[in-house]
Amino acid sequence: MADPLMSLRDLRVEFDTRHGRVTALSGISLDVMPGETLGIVGESGCGKSITALAMMGLVPNPPGHVTGGQILFQGEDITRAKPRRLRRLRGREIAMIFQEPMTSLNPVFTVGDQIAEAILLHQDVSRAQAEKQVVDLLATVGIPEPARRAKAYPHELSGGMRQRVMIAMAISCRPKLLIADEPTTALDVTVQAQIFDLMRDIQREFGVAIVLITHDMGAIAEMTDRVAVMYAGRIIEQGTSDQILDNPLHPYTRGLIGCIPVLGREAGDAASLPPLAEIPGIVPPLHLLGDGCAFAERCALADDYCRAVRPPLEEKGHPVACHHAGQGVPA
Amino acid sequence: MNDAPLMSVRGLTVDFPLGRGGLFGKPQMLRAVRGVDFDLAPGRTLGLVGESGSGKTTTAMAAIRLAPASGGQVMFDGADLMALTPGQMRQHRRHLQVIFQDPYSSLNPRDRVGAIVREPLDLMDVGDPAGRAVRVEELFTLVGLRRDQMALFPHQFSGGQRQRISIARALATNPRLIVCDEPVSALDVAIQAQILNLLRRLQGEFGLSYLFISHDLGVVQFICDDIAVMYLGEIVEMADRPTLFSRPRHPYTAVLLEAAPSLARRKSQGYRRQGIVKGDPPSPLNLPPGCAFASRCPQAQDRCRAEKPALRDTGAGKVACHFPL
Repeated sequence: MADPLMSLRDLRVEFDTRHGRVTALSGISLDVMPGETLGIVGESGCGKSITALAMMGLVPNPPGHVTGGQILFQGEDITRAKPRRLRRLRGREIAMIFQEPMTSLNPVFTVGDQIAEAILLHQDVSRAQAEKQVVDLLATVGIPEPARRAKAYPHELSGGMRQRVMIAMAISCRPKLLIADEPTTALDVTVQAQIFDLMRDIQREFGVAIVLITHDMGAIAEMTDRVAVMYAGRIIEQGTSDQILDNPLHPYTRGLIGCIPVLGREAGDAASLPPLAEIPGIVPPLHLLGDGCAFAERCALADDYCRAVRPPLEEKGHPVACHHAGQGVPA
Repeated sequence: MNDAPLMSVRGLTVDFPLGRGGLFGKPQMLRAVRGVDFDLAPGRTLGLVGESGSGKTTTAMAAIRLAPASGGQVMFDGADLMALTPGQMRQHRRHLQVIFQDPYSSLNPRDRVGAIVREPLDLMDVGDPAGRAVRVEELFTLVGLRRDQMALFPHQFSGGQRQRISIARALATNPRLIVCDEPVSALDVAIQAQILNLLRRLQGEFGLSYLFISHDLGVVQFICDDIAVMYLGEIVEMADRPTLFSRPRHPYTAVLLEAAPSLARRKSQGYRRQGIVKGDPPSPLNLPPGCAFASRCPQAQDRCRAEKPALRDTGAGKVACHFPL
């Protein structure tokens, strides 16, 4: 097997809050292999976006602190990298696209200028060459009339077009890793489908590895090779996408899969459909986490042992952190 | 669908003024809803489905007179809502409630949530003050909140709990119809299921009718009995749930179904999406003469670009397409 492109090794991130120091990531370990798509899934507040920011060396400081572990990009620990080195990595080797393309683009520059800026920063090319690259990139991401659109301002483009511009900017320097944080959540379903297709085409063409952060199990099925499920700052289950979707072992993962209304073909009245599986309650605030399993309070299988002793991530077919892994009624 | 409809909408049209093109220019109008007809039976849920800008929210809001309609008729429980005086309309408001998408901006941050739920009762003068207090307690229990939470403020609740407060407020006056405007799209998936199950339970308990606005066909399939698919201010297909999901007739419905969430489409099995639409909808200010979907439709022919298809009966539903699937 090839070496991983990026590895998190027992990564700890803490934040200063008005409740004192809380642990946002408590020992995350995962690998991203070259050319694959890794999904990170969980509810808001589970730490998935912080994991993405950490991979870019962008944990906001203050209030955030990387207090332990390593972030290895091609073997280099970027938690120890100098700011100058980090700036070279970001954009050129690791790029990111965000949920809301409107707020990530500068409203007072044309989209062409903004993509050209990224190219000029990282590549030794002339302004004219960069502008030519911009038009080619806009064509690559499926923007019609790319030469004209390069002169457009962000507000003149639709949400889907803006996300295409963000992707064009992200791939402008042929990065090896693309981190996509909920890239389609703000978009209409038909446009979501277009963006997913584009991301797959780009992966095939450029061989870029993608980390897809999402709460949508449908996106996981369609886009990813492997998945890490996060809860309250830890990875609680990890495996190939088929393992996680077909044979989820953690009650939380089962809940996440069971609670989405996915399309079936059943007939009859709406009232006759069985209710959706529910995960009761909400994600506990980080400052209230105890010694036991963080999910215990919402879990139907939890007992006193779960509330007292936190389950480690163990191999049980695939890695899962649950004393009762695989027990109970499958979702 | 044999019951007499609770709400019957005919030819509903909504225009938004856009200001003039210059000082002496003609005032421009944007036609957001263009002649929409639908019926909603008691105890059933009608889904209005479409992308942003399709006019689904405007249609629902105009139907309950929360947005001004420029034409059409809305019969609700025997009354023509468009013809009522503001005073008469107020009397009908107790039967027509709304749950909004964003549970953060739709609750007054300065009011205690008990007062928020009680407010419709005070405004409509329902019962005596002591009776209202009892009713508020009852509502809190009904939506799965604790009575001791009544004195808290909205910011002390999570998104899902706030949506429960919105539902309690909507239920306060014993309405017959609730407009649910994307009630779960702002919530986490795990919380969505809690709210959808709650809405279904309440419908069964009180025989409520829902006009349910959503862009998520998974959610729509779970909660709606009948579905109207909207595109650029018009209904392009309408059918009951089994028919629409098993045999979509309009190419746009088929595209929406193709784009809906599913766990069966696996990257590991080399899934490729079929029949993806290109581009964005045309501008509602400059609609093409023929079918509004023609520019994105994989099946479009010359006739589609020249002649606008009417909404026709298919036996099992209605579709506005020259070449239905």
